[in-house]
Amino acid sequence: MRLHKVFTIAKRDYVATVRTKAFVFGLVVAPILFGGGSIGMAFLRGKPDLRDRHVAIVDHTGVVAQPLIDAAQEKNKREMFDKTTHRQIAARYVFEVIAPAADRRQQLLELSGRVRGKSLSAFLEVGKDALRPPKPGDDDDPLDLDVGRKTGPDQRVSYYTNAGGVDEMRMWLNGPISDGVRLARLAQLGVDIKQNPFLAATVRIEGLRLVERDEKTGAIGDARKRSELEFFVPLGVAMILAMIVMVGSAPMLQNVTQDKSQRIVETLLGAVTPLELMTGKVLGSAAVSVTSSLLYVIAGVVAVNAMGVAGLLPLTIIPWFYVYLLTDVVMLCAFAAALGACASTPQDAQNLAIVLLTPVMLPLFMLVTVLREPNGALATAASLFPPFTPILMLLRQAMPNGVPAWQPWVGLAGALVFAAATVWAASRIFRVAILMQGKPPRLGEALHWALKG
Amino acid sequence: MDAIRISHVTRSFGSVTAVDDLSLTVPKGSIYGFIGPNGSGKTTTMRMIVNIFYPDSGEIRLFGDGLPENSSDLIGYLPEERGLYQKMTVQALLEFYGELRSAHGVKAEVATWLERLGLADRAADKTETLSKGMSQKVQFIATVIPEPKLLILDEPFSGLDPVSADAIRAAILDLRRRGVTVILSTHDMHLAESLCDYILMIFRGRKVLDGTLAEIQDRYGEDTIRVTAEGGVAAVRDLPGVEQIRDLGQVQELRLQRGADPQEALRALVERARVTSFSLGKPSLHDIFMRIAGPAAEEANHETA
Repeated sequence: MRLHKVFTIAKRDYVATVRTKAFVFGLVVAPILFGGGSIGMAFLRGKPDLRDRHVAIVDHTGVVAQPLIDAAQEKNKREMFDKTTHRQIAARYVFEVIAPAADRRQQLLELSGRVRGKSLSAFLEVGKDALRPPKPGDDDDPLDLDVGRKTGPDQRVSYYTNAGGVDEMRMWLNGPISDGVRLARLAQLGVDIKQNPFLAATVRIEGLRLVERDEKTGAIGDARKRSELEFFVPLGVAMILAMIVMVGSAPMLQNVTQDKSQRIVETLLGAVTPLELMTGKVLGSAAVSVTSSLLYVIAGVVAVNAMGVAGLLPLTIIPWFYVYLLTDVVMLCAFAAALGACASTPQDAQNLAIVLLTPVMLPLFMLVTVLREPNGALATAASLFPPFTPILMLLRQAMPNGVPAWQPWVGLAGALVFAAATVWAASRIFRVAILMQGKPPRLGEALHWALKG
Repeated sequence: MDAIRISHVTRSFGSVTAVDDLSLTVPKGSIYGFIGPNGSGKTTTMRMIVNIFYPDSGEIRLFGDGLPENSSDLIGYLPEERGLYQKMTVQALLEFYGELRSAHGVKAEVATWLERLGLADRAADKTETLSKGMSQKVQFIATVIPEPKLLILDEPFSGLDPVSADAIRAAILDLRRRGVTVILSTHDMHLAESLCDYILMIFRGRKVLDGTLAEIQDRYGEDTIRVTAEGGVAAVRDLPGVEQIRDLGQVQELRLQRGADPQEALRALVERARVTSFSLGKPSLHDIFMRIAGPAAEEANHETA
């Protein structure tokens, strides 16, 4: 392979890409799209619905409603207004106690009608036996105290609403209702909670990192507190990688199709081999990715410093980030070159874009699963699957627990071999398909070219 | 030393044999014209010389024992289907193409060629702003920078206006004078006759003519009468010994049967009409082309089959 030709192609493609408005626009828009969810949530969190939440409560026990009302009033007092500006920042919870009617089903229907008519947000029904401990006949497992799940309406507390999405009221109710029922049960047993308030106190669990010995002094240090952001930093690193890979590789598809449809390719092939042409184009795209990554990496480092969580981002991850980035970009760009060569029109290329981005999208769908159990069998296997390794292994490496030392190396070796195989197969498809016009080849034909040339 | 030696080259695409057992020798410093109907194998042959396609069998050698895959820096190739990067300036585009074939700077050559083809004032313009004729000139310049030893031009004059065509023709002749070997394909028989030292005709993948124009014409002998007579084509119908008439408007071209006496045809014609001019000569390249690949030849081929 003649390197000066490869670099000439790479240089032209690089300059042509970074000078386009689409590239500059993509640099700005991609993070917005990716971060759009969290920005949107932050925005909505800043603009809560401040209308009162009216909830009716039908308390068949006669003792649960009052503690609930007390808890709501306490919450309203504590959370409704900003302490500094005195501006209302949360909705008021208002409970209305309704006496149980003789016809229970009719009453539930009437209350449902009020919810539909929007005079109520929801209503609660506390079953008459909600305080009673479960009997052996109530359930298969008498020791399972989650009575509401398996028993009838008399034993449980039911919450009726037509609210969609995340219902904050219901989430909040779990605590006060459990507290109310617990206090009522203690009262039934003759325990005066006012004399023994610690009985109702909630025990707080503090998340801590492991204890370490200071290497210099030999002293055993205090464990560091776990931060909520420990979750977000690895997620952010993996998403930035995915974003840069997509921004870097997607234009390749259009680029090759454009060269083909504008009849530029044959002129180029008079001076370079198909492999040199494809390699030059892949290098150009890799250079584009590194350019955009510099912006995001610098912005990321500045952001974690500004948030005071710089310690959460292990710096050793940065070399891995770039190794994975280049591996993934080379893999995807070679794939894009083959797909682009098979397409004859921009429309064909558009249809193939989803195929191209699959190796990036699938690991993105697995991010939450891997975050939940980063060293579980599924996370380990998925991160050792070569097309997914760059994103998923990086995510696992960026997490506080890290991964066993051998895994990144094995994963990287697999990804490099896979990338080399992709380049090899793609160059064979590229060589045959790049001068073909008309209908794109079938998958079987493309595979035949990849295997047999 | 020959510039190109093609020996028994065959290339198929599926069940279609595009080039069938082709052998050809192109002398260094000559202009070789490839003619033949569309789909006859001209472009496939050129692509094999440039190493875009590989022969299924046979071999191609350039400038002695050079293989096409090692010779791309010596070849300037202008494909029939050609485009330009629309967003690049003329100057940047030409430097890019030049640097692909040369590790050295080509700025001076770019400037010289732009000046020569009247495009110096458009160097800083994007190629998307150029007219079709200008674009074709730019494509030609991209092919000859840096100066190649072998220039392969697939339909270089298609779509060019006479002024641009003359400029390109002059450039080709100048390159030939400097020792560059030129292969060009064309459907313009008059251009092939006037520009090319040698002519190759490929028909259905096989070589059917190869040699200088004179050599090719000699094979057919002096069997063509060009005549101008009052009454035009009506006056020359059914003349003795004439097997085919080609009406060119003001002139009629008559092909004599093998062994026929042109004097008989002349006598019969003079009896019918006043004759302004009468000449006996060799057939034109166009006529030869039509004899091989025209509808009459197709019909004869079908009948033989």
